Amino acid sequence: MGLSSAAAGDGTQLCVFDLRRGQQEGQELDKILFFHPADCPILLQLSVIGLCEGIVTFTRIFSPEEDCEVIESEKHSHVFYQAETDIWMVLVVEKNKENELAWRCNALHGILKEAHSLFAMFHGPIRTLLDRQPSAELARGHLRTFITDYLSDFNVGKKLQFPTYRDSLKERGTVQMLTVSREVALDVQSLTTVLGSCLGNVTCQSLVLFEDLLVSTTLPPDDTLNLYTYAVLRLTPRALYANASSWSYLRKGTSVSAGPTSSSSNGTTAGERPLLRDNLSKGKDGFVAADFAATEARGAVPLTPILWFQQAEERMYLCIYQHKSLTILLLVPASSLINGEEGIAHVKKQMLENASQKIVTVEQKLTRGWGGENAYHVSGYRYLLVDPERRISRASPPGKVTTLAKDSLLALNMLRQEVDLEKSRYKRGDPCHDKDFEACIRTKNNAWVIAKISRGRELYMALEKGGETLLYASTAVEKFSNRYCEGAFSTD
Amino acid sequence: MDPHNPNPTPTDAPSPPAESAARLAALSLRGTRDLPPDFHTAEIHDLDDDDDDDDEGYLTAASRGGSSTSAWKEAPEGLHDDDKDGDDVSQPSPSSSGYAGERGSSLDDDPDPEPAQDWPRDKKHLHEDDASSSWRKRKKHFFILSNSGKPIYSRYGDEHKLAGFSATLQAIISFVENSGDHIKFVRAGKHQIVFLVKGPIYLVCISCTEESYEGLRGQLELMYGQLLLILTKSVNRCFEKNPRFDMATLLGGTDAVFQSLIHAFSWNPATFLHAYTCLPLAQSTRQAASAVLQDVADSGVLFVLLMCEHKVISLVGAQKATLHPDDILLLANFILSSESFRTSESFVPICLPRYNPMAYLHAYVHFFDEHTYVALLTTRSDAFYDLKDSRARIQNVLLKSNVLIEVQRSLHENALCVEDLPTDPSSQSASHPPESSRDMNSQSLSSEMAIGGPGGLWHFIYKSVYLDQFVSSEFPSPISNKKQQKRLYKAYQKLYASMHDKATGPHKTQYRRDEDYVLFCWITQDFELYAAFNPLADKTQAIKMCNRVCQWVRDLENEIFVYGESALSWQYHRCWGGI
Repeated sequence: MGLSSAAAGDGTQLCVFDLRRGQQEGQELDKILFFHPADCPILLQLSVIGLCEGIVTFTRIFSPEEDCEVIESEKHSHVFYQAETDIWMVLVVEKNKENELAWRCNALHGILKEAHSLFAMFHGPIRTLLDRQPSAELARGHLRTFITDYLSDFNVGKKLQFPTYRDSLKERGTVQMLTVSREVALDVQSLTTVLGSCLGNVTCQSLVLFEDLLVSTTLPPDDTLNLYTYAVLRLTPRALYANASSWSYLRKGTSVSAGPTSSSSNGTTAGERPLLRDNLSKGKDGFVAADFAATEARGAVPLTPILWFQQAEERMYLCIYQHKSLTILLLVPASSLINGEEGIAHVKKQMLENASQKIVTVEQKLTRGWGGENAYHVSGYRYLLVDPERRISRASPPGKVTTLAKDSLLALNMLRQEVDLEKSRYKRGDPCHDKDFEACIRTKNNAWVIAKISRGRELYMALEKGGETLLYASTAVEKFSNRYCEGAFSTD
Repeated sequence: MDPHNPNPTPTDAPSPPAESAARLAALSLRGTRDLPPDFHTAEIHDLDDDDDDDDEGYLTAASRGGSSTSAWKEAPEGLHDDDKDGDDVSQPSPSSSGYAGERGSSLDDDPDPEPAQDWPRDKKHLHEDDASSSWRKRKKHFFILSNSGKPIYSRYGDEHKLAGFSATLQAIISFVENSGDHIKFVRAGKHQIVFLVKGPIYLVCISCTEESYEGLRGQLELMYGQLLLILTKSVNRCFEKNPRFDMATLLGGTDAVFQSLIHAFSWNPATFLHAYTCLPLAQSTRQAASAVLQDVADSGVLFVLLMCEHKVISLVGAQKATLHPDDILLLANFILSSESFRTSESFVPICLPRYNPMAYLHAYVHFFDEHTYVALLTTRSDAFYDLKDSRARIQNVLLKSNVLIEVQRSLHENALCVEDLPTDPSSQSASHPPESSRDMNSQSLSSEMAIGGPGGLWHFIYKSVYLDQFVSSEFPSPISNKKQQKRLYKAYQKLYASMHDKATGPHKTQYRRDEDYVLFCWITQDFELYAAFNPLADKTQAIKMCNRVCQWVRDLENEIFVYGESALSWQYHRCWGGI
């Protein structure tokens, strides 16, 4: 056994296990639904899950209401997420001298949450899969392909690299919005209306993205977030042409191809492996769909994936249309479409007929007003704004954040960790009542790292030229707040 | 062995191992189960203000500490430093030596064995175990166990009933240890389980007090230090010889010492600042005390401490020997939590873990009055009479120069109050005691009294980095009750941990505002300032107040800090920048 003797070279492990299974002695293996790396010896897998289960049980003695979140040891962090009742996901990361303080627990937690949310969007809840097939083969199969494909995005060389202190001005689990002028907003609204009526009587939902930024959505916040996350991972032009030199607020500039996985050659479609990058491409009609070559060779029509939207409580077909930098995600309620793919074809036709012109207009106007990748850079500031309620964030462009000194970023990461704890404390105390908080630290390298929570909104900032005194730094925050946040973080 | 007639010699000649062990067992039994009545007469101060807002009172006076000293003094073979065993032959001390271990002999002198209940046990809630919901809901547990899973100490519940729970803790720690790793903490919501492994001894804190990991770990370190103070690190050898060794018996009767330390975590900033605090005194008064302590130290005593409760009046070390603030904290805690020290002079073996964790020193302790005591520490086990003489010399000087009277006065009057913060720093003369400033400014600040000091200042702690000393102000009306004070200390603890982060710290300044406070911290080469303000305090004003506090402390430094021989010549006046 041994936590430190992980089979993978980078020591990273990710497991999913069900505490309702394998309760008899000798059947513990049945608990495991997924384990990365797959070639990890069974005994080691059991050992990791044994420790995790032991700690989950132990912490419940004292904390029956709140889940175990993390085991911190000298060489590892085990981050816990109870994705569904009794179904746990645990991410184990190995520390070394370079990265010891690299992670923020909540950032790692966000990865597990994101992986599960996306999985549930495509495959439904894990428990449902287990109920449908108690032998768990179905659930294991989907988890294996899905999480493996998901993790491929974190591959750097042969190692998995998770967000570090260098990403402390990013917030996973939020949407980045494009700010548009009033005139363009009206055009977008008009486009959304047309998109909504593609099916006739029943309203279709839609998301419109420009580059990696969200322009409009008709879905509730959680569903928007999941679909937006998927779009940025795989569907936007930058994601689709992964090799093209592009940028993203969510990811570093260079993407790494997923590479072949053990089961990538079995002719699966986007519906089954929605995160398999190689499967997706844009057709001549502007619609993005799965692996045309493979499906055409089999003489089949590419299948349109059906997604489960938890907040909207509805299953919907996903049609993806792309025009230059504009990506439109059209969602057709599955219950309203009796004739399946034929109906989808009809909807697509309707959309091209009714919305093409508007799409071109909107794309042109957005491109004209677009400030490029540094559009949201504010000179002198390195910032992150988060509105957790609306799941929205805005941040300094990654290229600008990299100019910060390591010490500043480390200090900011530590401060964020403290704020994370304060936030959860507030949430426990009185979940309905927003509590304000402010911390302003002058680091040993003379930078200011700042965290401010005001009326539920969060601002994180690193100022390396913020002046000598606290009052200078405070004034800088005040100016930023007044100018870019409508005074949300101003003192008065 | 007759528990009421223990061997009156404080340092008996070494006994054959079997006999020694038997005696140990007998003494331990006595220590935990059959307390001499005079140990029960301690006044009970049920402050009821500890971490648990529910039933978690705390007793300032310890009863079993006294009897316990006998238990651990008669350490098993191998527990004493081997080199010293041979020297442990000394002349029998007279019965008046008051050696803590023989307090049992005073049974006949004490006509009133009235409150012979297990009061420390009540506070431990001995009826509880891990199956009790009340036990599970306690806000802060401390456990000490051996690496074989044997319980050594639990803050709540009967250790014996917690054997199963202890085994679980051991299993968790060992599981991770066996993989070549070391578990640091587990977090579940507001609960945090912090682990500390010290060789064969495991320490665990389970808390929902939302203190920082660093803070709780520091507390476990102090718990371990307290254990070493009683047993020395040589106790590890017992585990080497017998992994199933039952250490709980060695600590029998020291519950009060640990309870008192745990209580200190919520009221004594020394527990996280790693600095000690002094009793404010006029410079001349302190010099009079220091002079006689220095005389005594020069005559072959390792350390001499003159203390008033937890505050240092003066301390002197022989030659280059220095005393770590944590050792002062643990020693004072040990002395103050053992009632028997207060009733007569005592001569006991103790270990200063930061000075030398392996060896015992011998401490002569004498209380001059209810609060003031002297502790003389030596390496010689036969020094009782010499130290007794030294104490008499010290006492003489203290009486003649009115030091004890001044100490009493300071205890009641000389506190730093934020209301007294001078409006104009230059008007405060360094020679004036703090109370004079109160008169000076009482009128101009009267309107601010209701909300604390000027600029919304509520409280501050100032630590001199070079002196390892801190001074803290009294609590003003806005934080008058214990619960509010505890909350403020926790906020300070967090601020301290945040400022002293291992990887990125120490930071230079920090401003923090939440619904409870505005907090400031300012760290320079010379000092650390922690200040708490009204949450609505104006930032500019607060910064001004911080600067003023620093100036004020500097003006008063001769009264509020102790300067040793070397420190006196050291120039304390450094550049003072602004935040």
